[in-house]
Amino acid sequence: MAARLERLPFGVGHTSGRWKLWMAVLAAIAILGWYGWYLELSRGMIVTGLRNIGPMGGATWGMDVAFIVYFVGVSFAGITVAALVRLADVKALRPIARMAEALTVVSLVLTVFAIMYDLGQPLRGIVNLFRYARPQSPFFGTFTLVISGYLFASLVYLYLGGRRDAARCAEVPGRLQRFYQLWAAGYGDTREEQERRSRASFWLAIAIVPLLVVAHSTLGFVFGLQVGRPGWYSALQAPSFVLLAGVSGVGMLIVIAAVVRRTVAGTDRLDDGVFRWLGNALMILLLAYLYFMVVELLTSIYTGAEREREVTEALLSGRYAPIYWAAVALLVIPLAFLIMRYFRRGAGLTTLVASGVMVNLSAMAKRFLIVVPSQTHGTLLPYQPGSYTPTWVEWAEMAGLIAFGALLLAVFAKLFPIMPVEGSES
Amino acid sequence: MPRYGMVIDLDRCTGCRACMESCKVENNTPEATFWMYVFRFEEGEYPDTRVRFMPRPCMHCDNAPCVKVCPVGARYKREDGLVATDWERCIGCRYCEVACPYGVNTFNWTHPEEQYYLGWEDGAPPWANPDLNEPYGDERRRIAGGGRDEGVIEKCTFCVQRVEQGLDPACVHGCPLKALVFGDLDDPESPPSRLLRKKEAFRLLEEVGTEPRVHYVGGGPPSENSKQIDAVEARV
Amino acid sequence: MAITRRTFLRGVGAGGVAAATTRLVLGGPETLLAQETPSALVEDVVPTTCWIGKQDCGILARRINGRVIKLEGHPGNPRNLGTLCPKGVSQIVSLYDPNRVKTPLVRTNEKGVSGTWRRATWDEALELTAERIKEVRERDPSLVVWQKGRSKSKEIYDSALTYALGCTKLGHGTYCSDAGYRACEYTIGPTGVLHPDFRYTQLLLSWGWNAMNAGGNKFCWIVWNRELAAAKERGLKMVTIDPRIRGGGPASDEWLPIKPGSDLALALALANVLIEEGYVDAGYLKTYTNAPYLVGEDGLFVRKGDEPLIWDERTAKPVPVGSKGAEPALEGEFDIEGQKAKPAFHLLKEHVAQNTPEWAAGACGVPADRIRALAQEIGRIAQIGSTIVVDGVSLPHRPVGVMFYHAAQQELGFQATRAILTVLMLIGAVGAVGGTMMDTKWEINDNYAALDAATIEDPPYGFTLKYSKYFPINSGSPSMMALTMLDPEKYGVDTTPEVLILHMANPVVSFPNVHVQRAAYEKLKFVAVISPWLSETADLYADVVLPAATLEKYEGPISASDLYTSAKTARVPPMDPLWESRGEIDIYLDLTEKVGVLYGEAGFIDEMNIYLELPEKLKLDVEEKPTPRDILDRWAKAQGIHEGIEVFEKEGVYVSGPQAPSTIYGFATDPVFGGVVHRFYGESLLRYQQVMKDKGADEIYWRDYTPLPIWRPPTMEESPSEYDLYLISYKLIEHKQSRSSFVPLLAELAGAQRLEMNPRTAAARAIADGQMAWVESQNAVTGETRKVQVPVRVTEAIRPDVVGMPHHFGMWTHPWSKNRGPTPNELFFTGEGYVANTADQSFHVKVRVYPAGGE
Ligand SMILES: Nc1nc2c(c(=O)[nH]1)N[C@H]1C(S)=C(S)[C@@H](COP(=O)(O)OP(=O)(O)OC[C@H]3O[C@@H](n4cnc5c(=O)[nH]c(N)nc54)[C@H](O)[C@@H]3O)O[C@H]1N2
Ligand SMILES: Nc1nc2c(c(=O)[nH]1)N[C@H]1C(S)=C(S)[C@@H](COP(=O)(O)OP(=O)(O)OC[C@H]3O[C@@H](n4cnc5c(=O)[nH]c(N)nc54)[C@H](O)[C@@H]3O)O[C@H]1N2
Ligand code: SF4
Ligand code: SF4
Ligand code: SF4
Ligand code: SF4
Ligand code: SF4
Ligand SMILES: [Mo]
Repeated sequence: MAARLERLPFGVGHTSGRWKLWMAVLAAIAILGWYGWYLELSRGMIVTGLRNIGPMGGATWGMDVAFIVYFVGVSFAGITVAALVRLADVKALRPIARMAEALTVVSLVLTVFAIMYDLGQPLRGIVNLFRYARPQSPFFGTFTLVISGYLFASLVYLYLGGRRDAARCAEVPGRLQRFYQLWAAGYGDTREEQERRSRASFWLAIAIVPLLVVAHSTLGFVFGLQVGRPGWYSALQAPSFVLLAGVSGVGMLIVIAAVVRRTVAGTDRLDDGVFRWLGNALMILLLAYLYFMVVELLTSIYTGAEREREVTEALLSGRYAPIYWAAVALLVIPLAFLIMRYFRRGAGLTTLVASGVMVNLSAMAKRFLIVVPSQTHGTLLPYQPGSYTPTWVEWAEMAGLIAFGALLLAVFAKLFPIMPVEGSES
Repeated sequence: MPRYGMVIDLDRCTGCRACMESCKVENNTPEATFWMYVFRFEEGEYPDTRVRFMPRPCMHCDNAPCVKVCPVGARYKREDGLVATDWERCIGCRYCEVACPYGVNTFNWTHPEEQYYLGWEDGAPPWANPDLNEPYGDERRRIAGGGRDEGVIEKCTFCVQRVEQGLDPACVHGCPLKALVFGDLDDPESPPSRLLRKKEAFRLLEEVGTEPRVHYVGGGPPSENSKQIDAVEARV
Repeated sequence: MAITRRTFLRGVGAGGVAAATTRLVLGGPETLLAQETPSALVEDVVPTTCWIGKQDCGILARRINGRVIKLEGHPGNPRNLGTLCPKGVSQIVSLYDPNRVKTPLVRTNEKGVSGTWRRATWDEALELTAERIKEVRERDPSLVVWQKGRSKSKEIYDSALTYALGCTKLGHGTYCSDAGYRACEYTIGPTGVLHPDFRYTQLLLSWGWNAMNAGGNKFCWIVWNRELAAAKERGLKMVTIDPRIRGGGPASDEWLPIKPGSDLALALALANVLIEEGYVDAGYLKTYTNAPYLVGEDGLFVRKGDEPLIWDERTAKPVPVGSKGAEPALEGEFDIEGQKAKPAFHLLKEHVAQNTPEWAAGACGVPADRIRALAQEIGRIAQIGSTIVVDGVSLPHRPVGVMFYHAAQQELGFQATRAILTVLMLIGAVGAVGGTMMDTKWEINDNYAALDAATIEDPPYGFTLKYSKYFPINSGSPSMMALTMLDPEKYGVDTTPEVLILHMANPVVSFPNVHVQRAAYEKLKFVAVISPWLSETADLYADVVLPAATLEKYEGPISASDLYTSAKTARVPPMDPLWESRGEIDIYLDLTEKVGVLYGEAGFIDEMNIYLELPEKLKLDVEEKPTPRDILDRWAKAQGIHEGIEVFEKEGVYVSGPQAPSTIYGFATDPVFGGVVHRFYGESLLRYQQVMKDKGADEIYWRDYTPLPIWRPPTMEESPSEYDLYLISYKLIEHKQSRSSFVPLLAELAGAQRLEMNPRTAAARAIADGQMAWVESQNAVTGETRKVQVPVRVTEAIRPDVVGMPHHFGMWTHPWSKNRGPTPNELFFTGEGYVANTADQSFHVKVRVYPAGGE
């Protein structure tokens, strides 16, 4: 057992004025988002820009669904990193394992919110999704089963992985002591206990791998199995979903790790090694994703049926072209940065963080472009092309969720060591 | 158990859209909601222009993507072939809508009472049909009528409230040209079966494998040449 | 009918925060949503008839606790056989529309601007109206005008009421199809324009029939389309002669995209080819028409005494018409007592000799070979000489039919109709089986004689200019009334109307030119509008608005015949009139009582006895105010319906059975064609022309009073060349004139005004689909221009030199009809050059179109 802690590490339990100000801002944005939801609940989804496919000329799935997919994707990174640490024993990742787990939990919470936002009957949803669950629906795979299972698994992870640190923090007197004691739940850090913990984590990691594959593939299937929506029906849908999930998740981890290193004292263990690893991972994922993108594009241009072409046209040169090309740019520029970094070792963090931000913006845009154009364009019966423009309510809801996520992470960092406490690594 | 289906004779249809209105009044659907939609097409260039029409109800597919994707079984296939929506169970995810290749689903974007064209004193319009509140089928589920509740999906029900009483659906009953025919496809003497024997038939988007219960005779499906005209601007 | 009881369910409703929280907390999970509140519902079905349309389709109204919840077609009504068009179905919304006029209204602001109103009692409003009528009546009853739109209960309103009041009656026919009616009445006898005998026709010329959208001859819509579909299944070929093909829809087998206003030229070319190729039914022409009458060099018939002469080929002598055993010559030049004379047919033949297809191609914009081929097809399919047995009667069989109605409203409309009739007469298809008819019964209208015997008077003229040197044949045109009110001197008119009762018409929107209509209305001293709605005319000019009921009233008699079946109906109320509205008959009973013309001899009741042809024992007591129900009850009984009105209240319709051939085919009536001679040659028209000239009328008035139809380019062609497009107008299936534009379900379907335009024409003007454009019309006579802005809708279904705007828009008094773009009646002109020689309105004008915003 390492030396007794004098005080809580990484600024836990200590909040500055600046921190509070930040939290106030985030809370305000989150509340605005919830106000949007209130409007939606009281006046109906008419306050969104969503409308029916067909004669009404709209898209019935929009921002909400795009962000559901995006959030699930981000959560992917967390659980993958956690799994990698356990299974492949990637040392470089150890310092960020807890961040990754926290990111997973938070983005899954946001996913649940986004799903609620998107349901016409949210409360019925909570009841009926379980009461009348239909495993045949890809929705079940993605949302009912996976999200709850996934959320459960990552919580267990976070819990198990944190017990040892909790035990150590519990030694420090203060308001949070009881909380740590509860978490530690009598953890004594004996060899036996250490082994038990790592065994449990290992098996959990093994169990999570198929869950991971199922989750992201079914997410792809939500779209990919729909013969009725040109542009969706594709075998590439599932793998490219997984890849983009990786891109956005890793990108987000980079950003969070950088923020932690900038703002939290005593985090020098987040060294270049960690960032190099993350940067290279992002580069590889990006390359693979871009490859898929090009393949998909070429197939839809050359072999695509009439209706498919309509969607492609709307993307490349029509209504959605600005978003599409912005999304492409936001993937290509980071890739260039990352390749440069790869050759110029030890380059500063700025370009890396910028890359992380950019790929996430791109992922949001890409999710939007997967969800929306196939509803407004290329309908199999010759309806007029439709249109969908999100309203301020939808923007507010999504911004609110992101702010809420950031707030959760920041609060978590004040409640619990955001990184494993030095010397407590086994 | 009958196997209900509809046959639409495009040689007779005049594109008058009376069926759309019959449906609206019978099923009490709110503004901008058309369970039946009649396409009007223009094809070819002047002076070789052709104008033709194509009504489009829900296809009540035998292999219905909308049924497959519903996470809660609110959208289901009845034994007699009707694809129904249980408006008490629907959670409003609109997955059926994105899954349907035909664009026939409509969602209640707001309180239907606010969307009955002219504000009515007691919310529901004076012509609201009380039959729509009843449960139907052996399973006694509430599946009739539109404008049920904000946040649930709806679509053509094949007028279950009429069909169970032995009546033709409203659109079929009211079509001035008798271009729509409804009945038991298993009964060789039913009007749709007879019409199917008389004329060559096709179904819409056969290639996507939905196995529609709605058949068309006369003319053909829309082609790449078919430009929609007089599109109804059904936006709320 | 059937009465059932059921359980009634009600949803839970709440608003705002409450709703949000309930939904969040409870989410409305099932069972909570529908609460059973059992209450006994009484359900039944009662008959009535459609109130929007022109053919009064039979309706069965489904009621719950006495409230109508659905209107469905009446299966027993031959006109609609259990179905309804989109308007028929949708009218239920408007029945309950809170925007209806609920009580009588009295104007509180000046006229000419949107009205402000105060509510009045029926008594006060009727008293006010009666006072004004009485005051003017004492001076001159003809200065009281009763102006109507759609014809309903003609016997009661048009006849009994107007005779009792002694007022001037004005219809809307002058904007509908009166030019065609007058041409048919004058030429053949029955009243109507042209429709085919669908059950036997093999070739149909859909001549300006907007089949998929509008009624064609007489009917509203359903009848003809049902017949068309059945005929198509029997193998009918339909040729659409129309600047647009949208109306033909999939039923059209061939399209002749004709230039607007050039139908007369096309008909002459068809006649040219038919004569050239020997497709002439000489037997019919000789026996039933004046084609063999000898015409002298002065253009008048050569007569002996009163009797016109023909050339008897057997005796080679001129003999009086109708001489036994005579064999009339159709061709030849004969010397009759020193005067050269030719049979009228010969004159036509000479006249059309120059009207070759090649010649017509220029005027009509249709290739010559298509015209020739069509003529040959007409000739072939007519099977001249063939007969067919119908119901045991052997009749001539000429299966070539024409549907021609509102297209008759063009500057040459009267003569164009006569030219088409000439084509039909040449092949003997008038009144033959499979041929062309005018009405649902072959009855000779009084106008057959009257239009032949008009006396053209000297000024001062009445304000409709009937029997004037300007428009001697003239059915009373609101446009003429407007023009003479605005410039009485010009037309030698000395008195103009002062009080007007407007019944079911909306002139300031529906009639061209709306500015002329408005200026005239501005001059009226008192206007009472009877309408369920605040029409635009009422909004601007009514002093008093009297709320009429919609379908919840007694009205009739109404025919339910579909041409092949004879049936009658009456409108019976499925529920009490809503708010304080009342049926028109009720309103008129009270109004005439207050005016003092209800009771006694020649009072309203007495006139009803006459015009409803009530036998002695069924006559209404002229001293006692009847109810509308009682009036219709007596009428029904007089028709041999024992139970009287109850039949209609219970069954909705009274079907007498199939119409016999002797009722519908001119060849089968006794005497054949009602015993009249078909005016192949319009001698009296020439007589009128001479009198008009003598009395000093300008050429523009008399030039179309010719015995044979003569082509001349319409006046609009004289507009400067930059006005390079023709504007036309037509109906949409979703709307009925201006009387359904505010039915929300229909407004939702029909969208807004648009300028339909060929894509090439649009491209040449750099106008994109959906872009706003100016449409500017020019009056070739006065030089006046008018313009409106409207979005362009490109369509391949229209000639490149034609643009079109449907009727139905340009209204403002109802939330669902306002802001839907302008009416084309802002652009059409009225008066010289834009009305036919019969004062009937043309719906054609030359326009230029240019993008809006860039000028
Ligand atoms: N839905 C609906 N039905 C109606 C009515 C309605 O308002 N709505 N109104 C009823 C009434 S009152 C009437 S009068 C009837 C009218 O029934 P239709 O006579 O069928 O009437 P329109 O719609 O006016 O159609 C006129 C047609 O003539 C064409 N046309 C225009 N100018 C010319 C021309 O110079 N030559 C030729 N050959 N064609 C030309 C137009 O393109 C159009 O297709 O419909 C009745 N039925
Ligand atoms: N541009 C253009 N103009 C046209 C035409 C066109 O094709 N194009 N068509 C022409 C033709 S064919 C015609 S027939 C005329 C028709 O023109 P109108 O005869 O003027 O008919 P509407 O415009 O329908 O006006 C009917 C009025 O009657 C009122 N009304 C409705 N129901 C009732 C009722 O039950 N009782 C009473 N008392 N009033 C009632 C309504 O409020 C409405 O104001 O329009 C002509 N105008
Ligand atoms: S009602 Fe009949 S004719 Fe009219 S659009 Fe519908 S199917 Fe066609
Ligand atoms: S048409 Fe669409 S909604 Fe109807 S059954 Fe088929 S898939 Fe389902
Ligand atoms: S919207 Fe309702 S019916 Fe459609 S899939 Fe979702 S729950 Fe099922
Ligand atoms: S069957 Fe009934 S619900 Fe379906 S389109 Fe026809 S009227 Fe509407
Ligand atoms: S055709 Fe005319 S009369 Fe018949 S329902 Fe339609 S609008 Fe009414
Ligand atoms: Mo008319």
